[in-house]
Amino acid sequence: MAKIDLSNISHSYNPNDPNPVYALNPFSMTWENGNRYAILGPSGCGKTTMLNIVSGLVRPSAGKILFDDNDVTDLKTEERNIAQVFQFPVIYNTMTVFENLAFPLKCRDFSKAKIDERVNSVAETLNLKSFLNSPARKLTADQKQLISLGRGLVREDVAAVLMDEPLTVIDPDLKFRLRRNLKEINEQYKTTLVYVTHDQNEAMTFADNIIVMSEGEVVQTGSPKELFERPNTTFVGYFIGSPAMNLFDSEATSENAVKINNTIIKTNTNLSNLKTKNIKLGIRSEFIKIAKDQNENLVDVNVQKVEDFGNYKLITAMMDKFEIKSKVNRETEISGEKIKLHIPAEKCCIYENNKLI
Amino acid sequence: MSKLYTFLKYFFIVFWAVFVVAPFLWALTTSFKDFQSVNGGVTYIPWVDFEPNLEGWKVLIKSPAKGGVDIVEPYFNSLFVTCTASLISIILGTLSAYALSRYTFKAGFVKNNDITFFFISQRIMPPIVLSIPFFLFLSSINLLDSLIGLIVVYIVLLMPIAVWIMVDFFNKVPREIDETALIDGCNPYQAFLKVVLPNSIPGLIVAGMFCIIFGWIDFFFAFILTFTEVQLLPVKIVALNSSVTPWWSLSASALVSVAPLIIVAFIVERYLSKGNLSGAIK
Repeated sequence: MAKIDLSNISHSYNPNDPNPVYALNPFSMTWENGNRYAILGPSGCGKTTMLNIVSGLVRPSAGKILFDDNDVTDLKTEERNIAQVFQFPVIYNTMTVFENLAFPLKCRDFSKAKIDERVNSVAETLNLKSFLNSPARKLTADQKQLISLGRGLVREDVAAVLMDEPLTVIDPDLKFRLRRNLKEINEQYKTTLVYVTHDQNEAMTFADNIIVMSEGEVVQTGSPKELFERPNTTFVGYFIGSPAMNLFDSEATSENAVKINNTIIKTNTNLSNLKTKNIKLGIRSEFIKIAKDQNENLVDVNVQKVEDFGNYKLITAMMDKFEIKSKVNRETEISGEKIKLHIPAEKCCIYENNKLI
Repeated sequence: MSKLYTFLKYFFIVFWAVFVVAPFLWALTTSFKDFQSVNGGVTYIPWVDFEPNLEGWKVLIKSPAKGGVDIVEPYFNSLFVTCTASLISIILGTLSAYALSRYTFKAGFVKNNDITFFFISQRIMPPIVLSIPFFLFLSSINLLDSLIGLIVVYIVLLMPIAVWIMVDFFNKVPREIDETALIDGCNPYQAFLKVVLPNSIPGLIVAGMFCIIFGWIDFFFAFILTFTEVQLLPVKIVALNSSVTPWWSLSASALVSVAPLIIVAFIVERYLSKGNLSGAIK
């Protein structure tokens, strides 16, 4: 277990090219011991590169990696004491489940008694106890993934367990159980867990810290609540949440109000220092409700469709040329095509050049 | 319709079985015949059509002084040369194939695929092209007409096969297996020996089988590079021939020379249908 510092890390797969393409732009970050992190981003944004840099499979073009303040940038994978679980289960086909789980300890010359104890304890946690003596290749895909995971957890002193979309092959019900299992393991063993995913629900339910990446850039780090309510960039607003954040081109009219079409919307943001005219107002559809007795921040919209998702209704409406979405309770009655929606000032995010002010 | 299908299916299976087995049966009966039963019209069934005798087989173990040809020594020579050369080829070939599959080599415009192709290209050349260089090479190091010399030449001939098969096989072994082994604490050598190699047994068996077959059946180089000291089985069998073709002893020697390959085929077949890699990552 260790605190992991990534300091000014960047990586290019063609560093000698005159115009290198960076898979990972320079960034710094600290992963505290015993926390759960999720790296979230669309495919090809550099998530796996980041993991491979931490595990040592890829050496970064620049920057340093510190485990508990020790520089490990030049250490080989096998010297780093890290565990990594890949997207598809990787098992040692010729070995039994027990031998698979014991392998990392055997490679590090642990005593037989210690190996037995650890393997049994991990097998217990992962429900693999009854399979210990079966050949690993005979198991189902999700049991194989549990073995991969188990090999990561079997070392108590492992610096971190890195998981690269580990639940892709597992069916939804078991996924849910495994995520809870992982959380328990994290709480029990205080292992730092880093979880790469492109599924925001997975990230939100699993991690206490989420790192959002886009095109080789770390765009925001924060708790699920922060990411949801105050996305740093329009990308995060768009990427996180379902449906995506409502974003409207607007212009500032006073210190704290913007104009969308001809409607003035008050916000809690100080707009006196704006440098450009490229202003967007962002608001989550969860915060937009049908107006009752409010008398400001109201917009007139034409309802296009209402979808019933069982636990909520999603209203899609047009506010002149802008589409606006609002999530309301399923009991809400939507009367007629023309309705008024209320946009709460405290939930408005203002973006200048797609960055939050 | 389905009856017709079943009939056709069995018909072809039986036809194919006869096609494969009949030559062996023919050779087997012929090996027990004598001059009269071979040249005096067609005979099929022993004791009915002809009286079987062991002359054809006895010739193979009798010494030349007593009018035999004695294939026992060439037989063991062939076994020794084939097995040794195959084993060394497999070891060297597997190591180079692993390197070619996992690491990037570059020398000017020559890259991994070119190196792999270079190995195979050694087998594209007609053997006759190689015969003079091999002859001169072995004669310069005094290994003409010796088992060691033959082993050296056979390694050159067999290793490309091993490399070719194993590169293809290792390319199909997911890199994640090596990476996982490194993460679990192996060094690259241990990762290869403890994890990748046990997973590659089917590939090793296929490569081994091809090496053994190509080594065992080679006549050309065995003929050119040996004279009197050392003889290999294929050369000796050809030497059996004389003005009166001894079909009986030729048949007997054909059977004993095919026997090891049949045994290899039976062993290999069991392994090939068992452990394959399909379940390692999925």
